[in-house]
Amino acid sequence: MREITLSQAVNEALAEEMRRDPTTFIIGEDVAEAGTPFKVLSGLVEEFGTDRVIDTPIAEPGFMGIAVGAAMTGARPIVDLMFGDFIFLIMDQLCNQAAKTHYMSGGKLNVPLVLRTNLGATRRSAAQHSQSLQALVAHIPGLKVAMPSSAYEAKGLMKTAIRDNNPVVIFEDKLMYQDKAPVPEQEYLIPFGQANIKREGRDITLIATSSMVQVAEKAAEILANEGIEAEVIDPRTIVPLDEQTLLESVRKTSRAIVIDEGHQSYGVTAEIASRLNEKAFYHLDAPVLRMGAMDVPVPFSPALEDLTVPTPEDVAANARKLCAGEMIHAA
Amino acid sequence: MPHDVTMPQLGMAQDAGKIVSWLKKPGDAVSKGDALFEVETDKATMEVEAQADGFLTGVRAEAGEDVPVGQIIARITDSADEPADEPEPKSDATPGASATAALPKGREVTMPQLGMAQDSGLLVNWQKAPGDQVAEDDVLFEVETDKSTMEVPAGAAGYLAATLAEAGETVPVGSAVAIISADRPENPVSRSFQNGPDETPKVTAPKKAEAEKSSQPVTSNARSSAQPRQGGRILASPKARRLAAERGLDLARLVDAGHPQPYHAADLDRLASLPSPAASGPAVAAQRLTAELDEEGLTEFVSWARNPQGLADPDAILAGLAGACLPVSGTKVVAIQRLGVQRSYSVPAGPDLSQVVRSDDRPALLLRDLRDSRLRHVEMGAAEIPVLTMMAAGRGLSITLECSSAQLEAGDAINLLTEFAGRLEQPLRHLL
Amino acid sequence: MASAKTNTEDYLRMYRQMVRIRTFEDNANQLYLSAKMPGLTHMYSGEEAVAVGICEALTDDDRITSTHRGHGHCVAKGADFKKMFCELLGKAEGYCRGKGGSMHIADQSHGNLGANAIVGGSMGIATGSALRAKLQGSDDVTVCFFGDGATAQGLMYEVMNMAALWKLPVIYACENNGYSEYTRTEEIAAGSITARAEAFGIEAFRIDGQDVLAVNELAQKLVARCRKGEGPFFVELETYRYHGHHVGDINREYYRSKAEEKDWRENRDPIVRFRTWLVDQGVASEDEIEAINAEIEKDAADAVAYAEAASYPDTSEVDMHVYAA
Repeated sequence: MREITLSQAVNEALAEEMRRDPTTFIIGEDVAEAGTPFKVLSGLVEEFGTDRVIDTPIAEPGFMGIAVGAAMTGARPIVDLMFGDFIFLIMDQLCNQAAKTHYMSGGKLNVPLVLRTNLGATRRSAAQHSQSLQALVAHIPGLKVAMPSSAYEAKGLMKTAIRDNNPVVIFEDKLMYQDKAPVPEQEYLIPFGQANIKREGRDITLIATSSMVQVAEKAAEILANEGIEAEVIDPRTIVPLDEQTLLESVRKTSRAIVIDEGHQSYGVTAEIASRLNEKAFYHLDAPVLRMGAMDVPVPFSPALEDLTVPTPEDVAANARKLCAGEMIHAA
Repeated sequence: MPHDVTMPQLGMAQDAGKIVSWLKKPGDAVSKGDALFEVETDKATMEVEAQADGFLTGVRAEAGEDVPVGQIIARITDSADEPADEPEPKSDATPGASATAALPKGREVTMPQLGMAQDSGLLVNWQKAPGDQVAEDDVLFEVETDKSTMEVPAGAAGYLAATLAEAGETVPVGSAVAIISADRPENPVSRSFQNGPDETPKVTAPKKAEAEKSSQPVTSNARSSAQPRQGGRILASPKARRLAAERGLDLARLVDAGHPQPYHAADLDRLASLPSPAASGPAVAAQRLTAELDEEGLTEFVSWARNPQGLADPDAILAGLAGACLPVSGTKVVAIQRLGVQRSYSVPAGPDLSQVVRSDDRPALLLRDLRDSRLRHVEMGAAEIPVLTMMAAGRGLSITLECSSAQLEAGDAINLLTEFAGRLEQPLRHLL
Repeated sequence: MASAKTNTEDYLRMYRQMVRIRTFEDNANQLYLSAKMPGLTHMYSGEEAVAVGICEALTDDDRITSTHRGHGHCVAKGADFKKMFCELLGKAEGYCRGKGGSMHIADQSHGNLGANAIVGGSMGIATGSALRAKLQGSDDVTVCFFGDGATAQGLMYEVMNMAALWKLPVIYACENNGYSEYTRTEEIAAGSITARAEAFGIEAFRIDGQDVLAVNELAQKLVARCRKGEGPFFVELETYRYHGHHVGDINREYYRSKAEEKDWRENRDPIVRFRTWLVDQGVASEDEIEAINAEIEKDAADAVAYAEAASYPDTSEVDMHVYAA
């Protein structure tokens, strides 16, 4: 199968869906001729024109609000938010307006829009361009949250998101834009709420999202050399969450580590770990561990920044302890 | 068609309003828009307008009265003499209404609503005492909400005739917390909000906290072998526990075998390979001792203790007698089991049986009272704690002690039973 | 008074719609005061000529976005009393099945995209609706209603900038009722409100919001120009709210005087003014007007009774409509 970059995969997904549905359009800062700073959208304005690839002023709440209004009245906007950190700027439009409109109207109004943005540290971009804020939006009922972990997922999830009748936030890992993966030439969609078992194992389950899927896979390699068989699962969407697949795996392995690049406290890892505790308690032979980014603003200095994100070695070390029956924080 | 006049709702968390004055008399002709009465809420005073033309009839709330919002207080009817059919009886069943009956007359000061969605306020302290004379602007009490602390003025001159909540209590907004009377009150009232309707003075009985403080668990000087595991809890994973239960295995045997905690599923194989409990060594040998008394002095002692001594709980006496025999100093906890009911008592050192009080702590000794049963012989094996069983034997008693050697050494077991049997024969010995 | 419409039927419909709003609000106020209506509500009484003057220039295909003080917009855009009262009481037959309430009432069948409880929160939505119209080549116009208080929100300037850049068919209708909640507008708005729109090159107007004919005439012109691609526009409508910020805001002396309220009610009431004009012009007799009033009162009373007797939503609806299928 051909291999393309995550960036190309997203570009393909957008182009295919924009050809398919004339009500779709892209709106955001420097999305047209510039094709975004990451060049993900290059070439789209040439095909679809400036009416459907719309450059905006630097006014995130403004163009987010405009997208909500367009979505409510029959369009399918794809909002490009240059950095995930800017979610804080659009919170009212996203969480008070887009997320609640369908419910507040008793099901009569829909807001079918996609907010594509990114996450991920270790790009030396410091505290305001490095955050992974998926937990913030996953907390709000009415929003769906997709977290592709490779070019394959990026394309299939984007196409599903554009066809969904709800506001969907997609977080792409900005360090992965140039990573290649096999992507079929023929059309495919990845349904939401369907986890992907990336690697099977019987000793411990590593549940990882987006950027952390690679980390978990590398950890599984390390562990395999020591005779520990780790199962790696990528939920692909955290809202909706494929609880069933996660629970089945944990019932089999009786141990789990949940890994996500958001801050560890009050995060995605906590939510998933909690559900495993609630629904697989009597199958657990060890506490479910969370591994997230350190609870610090992302530092600039490479010497510091690299400390803040879980590494394959960290994950393997924790997995080893759990499998050895060491309670990591035993009293 | 008669038009109901109701107490208006003016805020989100407002339950009642006070009618300050009626601006129209029953029978008066009114037009839509006429001011009918003045109402005061915790937020403001306003005039309530007639919503229809007609005659004011069926007034059923007087000036000065607090009326729940939405309650009908009058009607506007087509003629002045139209008998206003009673829509509902005047509500006097509001919470606390019965309590006000015994309170001094006067103006109620209520817990103010300070925020839009505030249900209650914390009464921080009283700035006036019951019986004090107060001026309208005097600060009566301080109240704290999630937003702020504020001083609440008396609102009327007079005397603080009653305080209906204590400092530290949280009171729903709109609830009365004080009464200001025009005249000096003869018997100013002070009570807590929680005990509202209950007029009896607060009894300053020995506080439970003190009793608890004095009843330390038996462990202090007791040998550790009497408490094989901390709090009786074994550290094990949920999966290990579930599998152990399914396979009928007792994780305690891993403890007894000296295997370090916590236990995981893998440890169950080791547990399964341990020798069976029956074959276990002398370390956990069961002990069973029996004493026989031809006559017992307990019954007479219990009735003497009740009157004239005033010790009404015979179980407390039993617990006191048994606890004194444990080879441990300090306070002990003894459980008494009778007719399927078990109660624990803490027994301090010393002979004073009036100091034996109920306790929620884990007992160090269980005393089964089977005197009223037909059982004459028990052999139950060692339990988690030593067990004394009392049974009737003619005019006397038979007493059995069962325990493991890990709980009580042989000498201690013999002493315990000897001491206890002696006390049941001659309870006065206990006091000496 | 200006005369925009020439048709007796149109005049009477405008009168009827204003009375319908006032009557709706009087009933809503009573429901609230009698503790039959839960929550929080904001009365539109006094501002009727704004909503009616503008909405009478719109079709059902044209959209509006509304505010927390939104009952008037909803009625003016053609909503039904029964469904509105049901919504206010949280009943299943309400416009939003009781999930929105007074502050989120929406009626998409008449193009009302909904009231919004975030002050200034709907400016993006209105502008987006206009962008959609332009992109899809449809000639509908969107009117964004908001109060003077919302002019302090930054979102407004972001979206006006884009609306002007892209020539969107949107009319920003600022209902200046003189008070931003409990504060005089002069204390929260520096400079001129219309000049802010003009800074973006948006044509802006200031108009007496108590004169329904003047409002309607201007609205007709601006809607027609929007349809020709000449938007956006900005209108500041000088008006007054008779009630407090919300129903429970009763002691208002600290921010406005009773004399001022009385003056607006007695001398500038939009309904009284228009009624007098209708009679003077011979469009309707006093008796005909009274008959209209009585008919609307009965409609409202029937709708209230209907809503009071209507059922609450089934508890199974609590987690319905979180996500669209």
